[in-house]
Amino acid sequence: MRKGINWSFIGVFLVASLLVVYASQAEEAKITVLNPRGAPPPIHLIPMAPRLDTLAGKTIYIVDARFPDTYQLLEEIQRLFAKKYPEAKWVLKKKSGAYAEDDPKLWAEIKEKGDGMIMGVGH
Amino acid sequence: MKLEKMGVPTAPVVTMVFAELVKKVAYNGGMPNKRFTFVPHPIVAVPASVCRDYLQGNDPITGKIVIQEIIEALTKPLTEPEKKVGFLERAEPRLLGPDTAGSLQNLFLKNGWTDYLPIVLPTEEKVAEMLKGTSRKPDEVVGKMQASGAHPMWSYTVEKVAVNAVMAGAKPEYFPVILAIASTGVTSLFTSTTSFARAVVVNGPIRNKIGMNSGIGSMGPFNHANATIGRAWTLVSLNLGGSGMPGVIYQGSQGSTVNYNNNCVPENEEALPSGWEPLHVQKGFKPEESVVSVFSGWGIGRADFNRGGIIHVQIPFFLQTCSPFAGATLYLDPLVAVRLKEEGFDTKKDLVQWAYKSSLIPIEDYWNKYQLIRTFNLPKGEKGVEPYASWLKLPKDALKPRFEKPEDITVLVVGGGTNPAWQLGDFKYIASASVDKWR
Repeated sequence: MRKGINWSFIGVFLVASLLVVYASQAEEAKITVLNPRGAPPPIHLIPMAPRLDTLAGKTIYIVDARFPDTYQLLEEIQRLFAKKYPEAKWVLKKKSGAYAEDDPKLWAEIKEKGDGMIMGVGH
Repeated sequence: MKLEKMGVPTAPVVTMVFAELVKKVAYNGGMPNKRFTFVPHPIVAVPASVCRDYLQGNDPITGKIVIQEIIEALTKPLTEPEKKVGFLERAEPRLLGPDTAGSLQNLFLKNGWTDYLPIVLPTEEKVAEMLKGTSRKPDEVVGKMQASGAHPMWSYTVEKVAVNAVMAGAKPEYFPVILAIASTGVTSLFTSTTSFARAVVVNGPIRNKIGMNSGIGSMGPFNHANATIGRAWTLVSLNLGGSGMPGVIYQGSQGSTVNYNNNCVPENEEALPSGWEPLHVQKGFKPEESVVSVFSGWGIGRADFNRGGIIHVQIPFFLQTCSPFAGATLYLDPLVAVRLKEEGFDTKKDLVQWAYKSSLIPIEDYWNKYQLIRTFNLPKGEKGVEPYASWLKLPKDALKPRFEKPEDITVLVVGGGTNPAWQLGDFKYIASASVDKWR
């Protein structure tokens, strides 16, 4: 009698175990998908320009990027820097065109006559 | 960065909310270690005294004294990373997994590769099925797209567009339409703090062939093709055009619900009054060609529920809600189109010309009341670029047409003809592309 009961329990246990294993395998089915991301271009690393060893005798341009109603920050930069670093010349300029536009003429002027540039400020 | 390349040290000053953006732009531009100084945001209209305090105070991102940080940017010797040259490749693996579907859904969600709605996972089988919708080869380049002019151009293939079309839930028969949209190279997720939106219109026989809805509920969530084609453009823009990543790439301060679907609608060509051409014919295509047209703007509003009276006189009134920097797209219910024809507008062009001349704006308002006019058009005028230069010389009490040219106004017929109502989007036409080329 004891043996009969044990076989029943073992049978039920085995069937239940198989069901659990089967269910867990079905849940954990794994798939491969395609990557949705596109290809950004490779990045060409460009070294930054050598820094100034001193401000003395240098001309630093302060350029307004032309975002509306932000010029006052650049004016304050000029005022503060001219006072705090009088050994350098601080030239305030507005870039031409809208803030996203290039201004090769100004860059050429800064390259020719300047030693550095501060630029600001969107928004 | 141009001046750095020319050998001139620079010290850019940026407001703090753009910290991640400018670092990303510098990274993409080849100077990952570019020295920035940040100030509190915004600076627009902030008094000079407050600006002075900002300069003498701390950089809100780095904690350094702003004025000293700027000087350091110009004078501190370069570090080894700042001197580096070479190339950084950014290849992505073609396949992801194997993993469970649940884990992959989470991966896509976590990486920001979706619109945060559930996607159809792009298995190889599903993508292969989608590719049957076109005769083009999977590795053919469809186009290039960028999040804005400051960001790099990403290129993408037919297969990559198919992956995103599967994700959107589109069917293979919709694929040529999605490819045509992708071929324009126009992102639906243009990044600007102003929160751009884009719109797409489908014309030609393809509309009915794939079961698009141009009738009742056309602009609503009631049609599989309308919904998934528009959604596919968003996913393409996100994953193949380098957009997304709010705060880093995408900067729209409020965002736009239009971005989910880009108001993808087919024009109800069958309901056009006699003499009114479908949009694609106006743009030079033949009536039997299938075409997509894309637009740029910010949003859509309801214009009116007119039941009596004269309709056309209301149009200039509602066009006042559009910025003169934008365009205007009138989504007219067929009942409105019929009434306008009865009121004497024999063609869409007649209506557009009239609306253009009748929608006037005081020149003082034009130059002073619109952020984007002051940001972009005023500097052009000051530089001598026409027509802005001439507009700057107009007397202060002058009136001028609100929009730059009549072509900035588009008229479409959309809807089921159950109410003479219409909707107005501030969308300006950008481009059209043939669907037939992508079959």
